[in-house]
Amino acid sequence: MTQTCSPQLSVFPAGAPVRMETQGDSVRLRVPAGCEASLCEIYEPQGDAAYSVQAKLELTLEAGARLTHYKLVQEGFRAVHQSFLEVHALASASFESHVFLFGGAQVRNTIHVRLAGDGAQCSLNGLYVATGEQAVETHTLIEHLKPHGTSREFYKGILDQKAQGLFDGLIIVQKEAQKTDSTQTNKNLLLSAQARARSNPELKILANDVKCKHGSTIGQLDAEQLFYLRSRGVEKEDARRLLIYAFASDMINRVELASLRERIEPIVFALFQRP
Amino acid sequence: MLEIKNLHAGIGEKEILRGISLQVAPGQIHAIMGPNGSGKSTLANVLAGREGFTVTQGEVRYEGKDLLAMTPEARAGVGVFLAFQYPVEIPGVTNNYFMKTAVNSVRKYRGQKELDAVDFLKWIKDRARLVEMDASMLSRSVNEGFSGGEKKRNEILQMAVLEPRLAILDETDSGLDIDALQIVAKGINTMRSPERAFIVVTHYQRLLNYVQPDFVHVLANGRIVKSGGKELALELEEKGYGWIEGAAKAVTGASA
Repeated sequence: MTQTCSPQLSVFPAGAPVRMETQGDSVRLRVPAGCEASLCEIYEPQGDAAYSVQAKLELTLEAGARLTHYKLVQEGFRAVHQSFLEVHALASASFESHVFLFGGAQVRNTIHVRLAGDGAQCSLNGLYVATGEQAVETHTLIEHLKPHGTSREFYKGILDQKAQGLFDGLIIVQKEAQKTDSTQTNKNLLLSAQARARSNPELKILANDVKCKHGSTIGQLDAEQLFYLRSRGVEKEDARRLLIYAFASDMINRVELASLRERIEPIVFALFQRP
Repeated sequence: MLEIKNLHAGIGEKEILRGISLQVAPGQIHAIMGPNGSGKSTLANVLAGREGFTVTQGEVRYEGKDLLAMTPEARAGVGVFLAFQYPVEIPGVTNNYFMKTAVNSVRKYRGQKELDAVDFLKWIKDRARLVEMDASMLSRSVNEGFSGGEKKRNEILQMAVLEPRLAILDETDSGLDIDALQIVAKGINTMRSPERAFIVVTHYQRLLNYVQPDFVHVLANGRIVKSGGKELALELEEKGYGWIEGAAKAVTGASA
């Protein structure tokens, strides 16, 4: 049953001075000092049979480098997917990530960011959607090692039928990382009584001069909003889909890459089409 | 057009409407006035089909059909519109997209051709002028961050866009400054036509200075305790609701 498929990786703009090397399932990529690039990591379904995917990506951002990372995971409905991302950001480097998890029987997305230089920053964004009996997990660890770092984390989840979602997010601010500014948010939308969401946002602060905030919510579609739409003639199912899309839309709108945004929008719309 | 017969309704075990009867013909404007807690908003919401209310007795016929058996979206389809007392914010859905979806849902229900993007844009811009709404508000999320007055104007805009045959305005005048009140009144007066009827639910007489009702009904304790012409609104303004409530208690007492 097991086969391993590597992601489709593409770096742009073309000719970006990025060094990439592959070793087994693992890919290493280095963005030189002061350079800027984007990286797309895409997993497409490999059919309905059971298969598994394991991939590891290691990114190094040298001083002042900027990298935007887009990851789209769409696996077959019996697939097991595990992917790891490790980021090492040096002084004033800036890392931005947008993760979209749309399927597979079991999907596990792990991100570990080390802000290892003064003033390094990261922004982790993600949307996970699961239905049927799917399980989707996100584990993130952001380590602030040096002063003046900034981290922003915002993950949203939509869980339907008997799906299970887990968001496990840890932020560690080491003793040396004074003046750290960090926020972490996780919001979940449950569409059925059997769907489950677990959210564990966690802060471990060892420095004494920091600004950190975290929070999470688990809720359902808003009955008032549904009635408002229906009272304007919008059929119940259409109203429901529109509100689900609205919940997801701020994660989608954060994607600057138009071609990817246009690819994600119809996926989200189609996911909640009910006959 | 609308015939309400002996309507009893409430939330759970609590009865709020205790036998309302009202007939509304095309072209008419009926004002429903009354103190807080008299059942005005319950009546508006039961007519629009809000969940959570139970009708225990009576019936409501709209153009001969059983209105209470219809879904909220079907009521919009046959031309019933409720302007909300507290318009709902929908982050992530633009006003434009919301209204286009609404217009085309209603047109589909009525067997009309759906409007394409260009025709819709022309239509919404024309309607937005009516409520003096800046085009930039159409690209913002529905009611999100709107002021109280902007929300109410947005309700009137939706009414103007959807062209209902029966419009129910639930305290659309509350919380408006005089400029916003006049814009709302202008919207209603422009929409007034021999085919269209309005039920204007209000606590104050103020709006009725600008929108002349054909009938005024006073609701107290879940019943219409007095009906009259527009002069009744002035009388209420002068005397307050106290004397009406006294009369209502007498009525309730007699029937208990």
